[in-house]
Amino acid sequence: MSTAEQDIIIEVKNVHFSYEEGGPDSLDNVSLKIRRGSKVAFMGANGCGKSTFFLCCNGIHKPCKGTILFNGEPVDYSKKGLLDLRGKVGIVFQDPDNQLFSASVYQEISFGALNMGMGPEKAKKEVEEVMDYLEITPFRDRPTHALSGGQKKQVSIADILVMHPDVMILDEPGAALDAKHTKKVNEIVDKLAEEGITILMATHDVDYALSWADEIILMHEGKVLLQADPVTVCTNVEALTMTNQEEPAVLRLFRQLRSKGILKQDLKPPVSMKELERYIEQTGK
Amino acid sequence: MIVVDKLCYRSKLRYVNASEKFVFSILTLLFCVVSRSLVIAGIVFAVNSYLTVQKGKIPGLLYARLLTIPFLFLIMSTLAIIVNISKIPLDAYAIPVGSFFITGSFQSLLFGIQLIATAMASVSCLYFLSLNTTMTDFLRVLLKLRCPKILAELMLLIYRFIFVLLETASAIMVSQKSRLGNKDLRTSLDSFGKMGAGLLLRAFWRSNALYDAMESRCYDGEIRVLEEEYPVRRAEIAAIAAFELVLLGITIWRKTL
Repeated sequence: MSTAEQDIIIEVKNVHFSYEEGGPDSLDNVSLKIRRGSKVAFMGANGCGKSTFFLCCNGIHKPCKGTILFNGEPVDYSKKGLLDLRGKVGIVFQDPDNQLFSASVYQEISFGALNMGMGPEKAKKEVEEVMDYLEITPFRDRPTHALSGGQKKQVSIADILVMHPDVMILDEPGAALDAKHTKKVNEIVDKLAEEGITILMATHDVDYALSWADEIILMHEGKVLLQADPVTVCTNVEALTMTNQEEPAVLRLFRQLRSKGILKQDLKPPVSMKELERYIEQTGK
Repeated sequence: MIVVDKLCYRSKLRYVNASEKFVFSILTLLFCVVSRSLVIAGIVFAVNSYLTVQKGKIPGLLYARLLTIPFLFLIMSTLAIIVNISKIPLDAYAIPVGSFFITGSFQSLLFGIQLIATAMASVSCLYFLSLNTTMTDFLRVLLKLRCPKILAELMLLIYRFIFVLLETASAIMVSQKSRLGNKDLRTSLDSFGKMGAGLLLRAFWRSNALYDAMESRCYDGEIRVLEEEYPVRRAEIAAIAAFELVLLGITIWRKTL
């Protein structure tokens, strides 16, 4: 296996998936590669197949056609193979109420660790460490239904983190969260990315995807419409419009400033407001 | 249900070993039922109320309000024993109504009072357990008592889903009200039925989603979670044993009278 091939953690080849036999394809000939340690944002209109794709990556859904390779090996759909895969590819579901089931936070987090075959002592240690890391120790004994939306999301992330996955999938982690909790969740995600965990995140926040991701995958009607670096995707207004997304505010502003001659034509598109501010400050000088 | 759940998480007796609380309340309940004594019922009711309100710091007013529910139910059902309609007046009281009497005997009056006292004392035992023990701890006690694991797992999932579905039901009802879904009795009944149907469908959908989420965390048919147990304290065991011995003594004394 070449170094470039070793660098690919997930490879999807011509995958088709349908929820009903003979029904429309929710995933229609999807092919893509995910680099190890990268941060990938999945974008697209509601129902475009992002969540279905994630469930295929975790082995919950088996593709009707095509192959998914994890670390260069085709996914093994035997019981043992699936348990191995699920220990390495974790999903944080969009609605925490569909994920959290235990009567207390402590028990909830221990579930995945014990299922992976960790001994009780090791699992205890791991659970305590994850709770400390994500700052959820203060509500460790609370029932999951008594948590706020942000706390539930933190616990959902802890659920997966305790399993030490190589890939963490977050399905719209900012959905139904206020700005403060979204920031908190984003900080956690950044910390995980710094530790080398491959992050796949579904989001509708184009501004965040532009500044955060290494790569954006734009999906449309079960197909991959575009896979490229964030600037290439976010400057493709036609593709964004087709997938019900808007051009990021920072790029819109940059375009207008450039067209009015305020900013130089040869400047690279900024990925954040801070970068744009720097351009404007430099122009002033 | 939600109030009881909230209260047990706030109780100061929450961190007392759950097995101790379970043994205490069940033994005490047994003495209440077996003895059928007014003295024991009085003692048990007083002790459980003291423990729940004073030691557990459960608000007294709320505790009293919770007790009124079974109390009203008991009063209604005991009326049939205490009140008779007869042509012949009995010894306790007799109110003439035409050619009949609303009447009762001393024996049935005493029996009714004894029944209410025993039932209220028994309820106080169960309230002590449910207001001071979380569901997590309670399930652990059941498992220790060799309750089938599948039953405990089902209880855990049902417990979780009660709250999820209550939230969903409440959201549906608010949405219906905001669209005049309760403008008259007929519409209200119709809305309630539709809410029930919608809730059933969502329950199915949610259970599928939950199963997927559990599978994604390597679920293989058995729910494994870490248990945390609070230490057993000798002083508490001694106090429980002493109290139960007193109840046993009174029970024997009352039975031999």
